[in-house]
Amino acid sequence: MGIFLSISVYAVYLYFGLRLISHALIWFRASGGLVTAGVPRAKSTCSTRAVMLLDVFSFRRLFEVDTPLWFGSWTFHLCFFLVAMSHLRYFLEPVPGCIACVQPFGIAAGYVLPLSLLYILTVRLAAGRKRYVSYSNYFILILILLISVSGIMLRLFFRPDLIGIKAFIIGMLGFSPGVLPESPAFLVHFILLLLLVPYLPFHIFTAPLVTMEARRRDDALRTVMHD
Amino acid sequence: MTERRKSEEKAGFTSGLTPLQRMEIDACTLCGECLRNCPVQAVTNRPEISPPEKIRMFREFIKGTEGLKSRLFGPGRPDRRLLEDFTKALFECTTCGACGQNCTVGIFTQRLWPMLRKEMVKKGLGPIGPQADMPEAVRTTGNPYKKPAEERYSPWFPEDVGVSAKADIAYYAGCTGAYEAQPMVRGDVGVLGRIGEPFTMLPPEDEVCCGFPLFITGQHEMLEDLTKRLVGAYKSRGVKVLVCSCPCCVNIMARDWPVFYGKELPFKIRHITQFVADSIRAGRVAIKKELKERIIYHDPCYLSRGAGIIEEPRAVLRSIPGVELLEFDLHGSNSRCCGAGGAARKVFHENAIAMARLTIDEAVEKKADKLILSCPACYAKVNEAMEGYDKKVQIVDIMELVAGLI
Repeated sequence: MGIFLSISVYAVYLYFGLRLISHALIWFRASGGLVTAGVPRAKSTCSTRAVMLLDVFSFRRLFEVDTPLWFGSWTFHLCFFLVAMSHLRYFLEPVPGCIACVQPFGIAAGYVLPLSLLYILTVRLAAGRKRYVSYSNYFILILILLISVSGIMLRLFFRPDLIGIKAFIIGMLGFSPGVLPESPAFLVHFILLLLLVPYLPFHIFTAPLVTMEARRRDDALRTVMHD
Repeated sequence: MTERRKSEEKAGFTSGLTPLQRMEIDACTLCGECLRNCPVQAVTNRPEISPPEKIRMFREFIKGTEGLKSRLFGPGRPDRRLLEDFTKALFECTTCGACGQNCTVGIFTQRLWPMLRKEMVKKGLGPIGPQADMPEAVRTTGNPYKKPAEERYSPWFPEDVGVSAKADIAYYAGCTGAYEAQPMVRGDVGVLGRIGEPFTMLPPEDEVCCGFPLFITGQHEMLEDLTKRLVGAYKSRGVKVLVCSCPCCVNIMARDWPVFYGKELPFKIRHITQFVADSIRAGRVAIKKELKERIIYHDPCYLSRGAGIIEEPRAVLRSIPGVELLEFDLHGSNSRCCGAGGAARKVFHENAIAMARLTIDEAVEKKADKLILSCPACYAKVNEAMEGYDKKVQIVDIMELVAGLI
């Protein structure tokens, strides 16, 4: 089972990597078109760059468009980041001090994460039928919800052998998979995560860049039309 | 199948897009927030032709022709029916950019949709209906309406206004204004005349289409030529500021002409409301007559969202003594398209009329005496929507109004 799971992990990540490279080729292939986004690009000053980063990390545009959804979305992304950071302790030996420091926040974020997802789900459903429904978004949302709930189950009710899990993961990273810990709950949590990887949307890579470019474009337009 | 068509099929769906535009397609989170102020959704209520659905479909086309599977096993051929549905949805859009304004990521949809239209034109699926006649009309007559050049200025140009052969300021009337919204361009020239600064205009046969209708319908072959002709003509007249009242013209001039021209333009582009607001502020002209009326101003999409000109028209209107300026619920950068945008008004006529009537309805509901516009396409469409409609409001162009009050 351990070997089978390890091979699945390699296959899933290989697929994700190839898909990413394939998309990167689409993104960066030389443009055949004359027209760019229009308006000459404005020079980026330090303050512009700072505002651009603030736009990205604060989800400013979402805040302006839909504040209730922003609250859930921002909380979810922060919690997801903290949980992911705290999980790094299973991948690194010795565990760096900064990762160790994150642990209490990661644990707290682990409890808030499913709540934020339920909140997003509620806001989305309350928006009514007139709005656009993306089934792939709902699928990912429910998958992450299940992953986070199974994570809480592992912490509260089905505590697995963490040393064994870490040995298994580090072994897998070194391409010498070890024995899979005997914990059905961990297996569920791990397989759900594996299911998520192929469905990870590429906006996680491109959306921040597009958001920064939107700020630059607005600044450039001001210069062209009002300077 | 011709060699050209074969090579276009091989080129996939992204050959004319910039890397940023390709990223924009992947950056969409399909959140649906963009449907909030979409005018097409407001009158059709069909999410299957909504912005995120178009992006989802286009992703499928890219996936089928350039995705991982197609790289490993060869490109597939997208379903023809799906392509046709997508093209129709793409051309039904007014390209007003309300979706981009509400985009939580910041996708520049006012430019993305025309570029996707261009991809569909390359595949032989677009443009739709009379849009296909535009390039030939522009080639033979200089305008998309196929009207003779000698009728471009003569029916409306005021006799008491003089035009210089050379001047720092030039006025571009635009095809829609000159042929379909003549009170508007007459007002523009009247106000320019009252301001008193010398201005120049190109002879009617030289004032050709700015390229916007071709750009917006994805027919880009002539754009570089048109841009170079016009820029060269104004440059030779020593122009430093090119003034225009059509937001679509202003938009392509400011945003895209530098790209087609290949470098920075030798003059600035200004919307007429910017020029007049500056003149009022500088004391070169004053509105003296009183107007004790409630007026409501409609922001054209390509002026507010497209060019960021929101305050200047209001500054001009507020300078009218006695006037009460009202606002639409959706105004400024969130304004609702009147239905004339995207060259869809003559193809998806019913949608366009329904959208224009939403504007009329709100103006009537807010008890406005006048509905003020500052775009020739809006002017033509809203007037058309008023025909046979039980709700009535007087429609006036902003410069038509100002010219009568100076």
